[in-house]
Amino acid sequence: MNFEWTQDEEAFRQRLREFLAATLPQDWERFSQHGPASPALTDYARTFCGRLADEGLLTPHWTREIGGQGLDPWHQTILAEEMWIAGEPRGGQYMNVNWVGPTLIRYGSDAQKARYLPAITGGRALWCQGFSEPGSGSDLASLRTRATRDGDVYRVSGQKIWTSYAGLADTCFLVCRTSDDRKQGISILLVPMDTPGITVRQIPSLIGEGDIHEVFFDDVVVPVEARLGEEGQAWEIIGYSLTNERLGIPRYALARAALDRAVALLQTQGEFAGEAVRIEAAHAAALCEAARMASYAIVDRRCRGEVIGAESSSARFATVMAERRVCEFIVEYLPQALADAHPYLKMHHQRGIVAGIAAGAAEIQLNIIASDVLKLPREPR
Amino acid sequence: MDLSLTDDQIAILDAIDTLTRPYAGATLHEAGFALASDALDRDLAEGGFLDIGFDPDLGAISAALVVERLARLPQTVEAAASALIRPLLGDATPRPLCLVEEGKTHRPVRFLAPGATVLLVGPDRVRSFVAGPEHVRAEPEALYAYPMGSLIAQPDDLTDHAVSADDVRTRWRAALAAEAAGLLAAALDSTATYVTDRQQFGRPLATFQALRHRLAEAQVRTNGLYWLAMKAAATLDAGDAALAALHAQESARSCVYDFHQFLGAMGMTLEHPLHLWTYRLKALIGDLGGRGGQALVAANALWG
Repeated sequence: MNFEWTQDEEAFRQRLREFLAATLPQDWERFSQHGPASPALTDYARTFCGRLADEGLLTPHWTREIGGQGLDPWHQTILAEEMWIAGEPRGGQYMNVNWVGPTLIRYGSDAQKARYLPAITGGRALWCQGFSEPGSGSDLASLRTRATRDGDVYRVSGQKIWTSYAGLADTCFLVCRTSDDRKQGISILLVPMDTPGITVRQIPSLIGEGDIHEVFFDDVVVPVEARLGEEGQAWEIIGYSLTNERLGIPRYALARAALDRAVALLQTQGEFAGEAVRIEAAHAAALCEAARMASYAIVDRRCRGEVIGAESSSARFATVMAERRVCEFIVEYLPQALADAHPYLKMHHQRGIVAGIAAGAAEIQLNIIASDVLKLPREPR
Repeated sequence: MDLSLTDDQIAILDAIDTLTRPYAGATLHEAGFALASDALDRDLAEGGFLDIGFDPDLGAISAALVVERLARLPQTVEAAASALIRPLLGDATPRPLCLVEEGKTHRPVRFLAPGATVLLVGPDRVRSFVAGPEHVRAEPEALYAYPMGSLIAQPDDLTDHAVSADDVRTRWRAALAAEAAGLLAAALDSTATYVTDRQQFGRPLATFQALRHRLAEAQVRTNGLYWLAMKAAATLDAGDAALAALHAQESARSCVYDFHQFLGAMGMTLEHPLHLWTYRLKALIGDLGGRGGQALVAANALWG
């Protein structure tokens, strides 16, 4: 075991930091408060991701054949850490490199890869994830949005909700029902958001402007070639996507960075001398580092080509514990942060509070750990 | 970064598993409160497994792997201090090595018996002596699953060690975290087995979500602790060690309660071995100032 970064890994991190320092605008910390899904940040992200792509830093962990440099998952992790700590200037495009692209590479047809991957590797694409419905959140397999086959097309009707990025996305990764079988009756369609019959309504949220929407599909016509994988293969594909998404965002890194920032502010104010505040900060740091190491253990296995399963839920829940403790620490000891005094800490709060909800609720992660890591018998359904 | 085991580490852990297989498979019905094993101690010492930390090529990280693996056994031997702290003192130091904080000599001490080395760790100095019968009172009724003794006297003449007290405490924290990681893993495994087998309301206890989520959280804590402990042993950094020990003591506190709760009355009996791991964890919870002590050291290391 070697817990030291290699020279190459250190140099890669340093290169990213220098790129960020040279590229981000002066008022970035306040600007980034708009949130990753806001029109302002989405617009800026197209410029930023284009520059990242020019530098070969947008998808360096992808293989060379599809626009990457074949770098290993440690580089992917370092890239994600530095971007997330910086407030994620890639906006919603982080999803592209984390899981949309890898899922298309694994399951997409040649035509789909040719159509979508260049826009992703060029920093121009924005996707949204059509998963949750009013009646289907954690119980995703109960979804009712229906895609009915009609010759060479599907006709899609239904409703999605709490959909991030939908207002500005160009394509929807849409999970819909093609038969009544609970899990084997679900399929994925890649649907351009300007297709007639799609209506998007923004829902005001705690976590930033433009982040949460409901999306209505009213007899939307989608060609059969837009289906990802086979009919009924969605459950397998989603499992692959979510394994990537759960670990795609290194939330522990931003949580620790926010904690360090909060401590520095408290020290400046002369409010970090008492034992109570120091003990509470250390508890939060321990959870951040436990989550970091749980995530690194999985990255290490990925580097060796191992297939990652339920262990990602364990690392994800460790991150949820860390995010919660850091958010609570800041609210308790620096309440002014949420009143806009410290944009970076407010930004962290808005992103941190969804850790236990996005990419599968924390309770779903615990169910997965119980069944698939601890091998406990399943609950009766 | 490379978190895989080296070939040497794989070979060491394989050898330990082979050596300890008869012990791991022992019948544990009414094993008693503390299950010390002189035979296991002898086997490990003869095999050199507790001296691995003396080898600079293997280092403290390999010693921590050994400590974590041994802590999973129902039998106990003094391994953590010997494997991780004894390399600072020299291989002539008699085992077991008993760690005592200056100013807290009234606390019961793990493995303290005549012939043991008592290491007194003060704020700025480290001293030791070999305990005689006049220095020790055995505590056979102690509710900890280690053999415990109390220090009732000290000789006037103590051996001074030219080592940093802070370095000793850092290794103590890494050792504590590695041992706690193994104890938690074994206790979790034992509890998971019990709730899978035990039926109530016509189905296994393990199918009730109220238990499943708390056990899953214990898995998350145990996994995180393992990695924090290994990192602490690898870096021997004061902050890493304090965070690892803090996570160990915090996790022990929450998980031990849950494990006993889920075993119900069975966990209150000595017919089930759960206490062998949980009541060792309880013995570790108060070391070096407990959670508050580790947290303050961590805060100093991280933020000054």
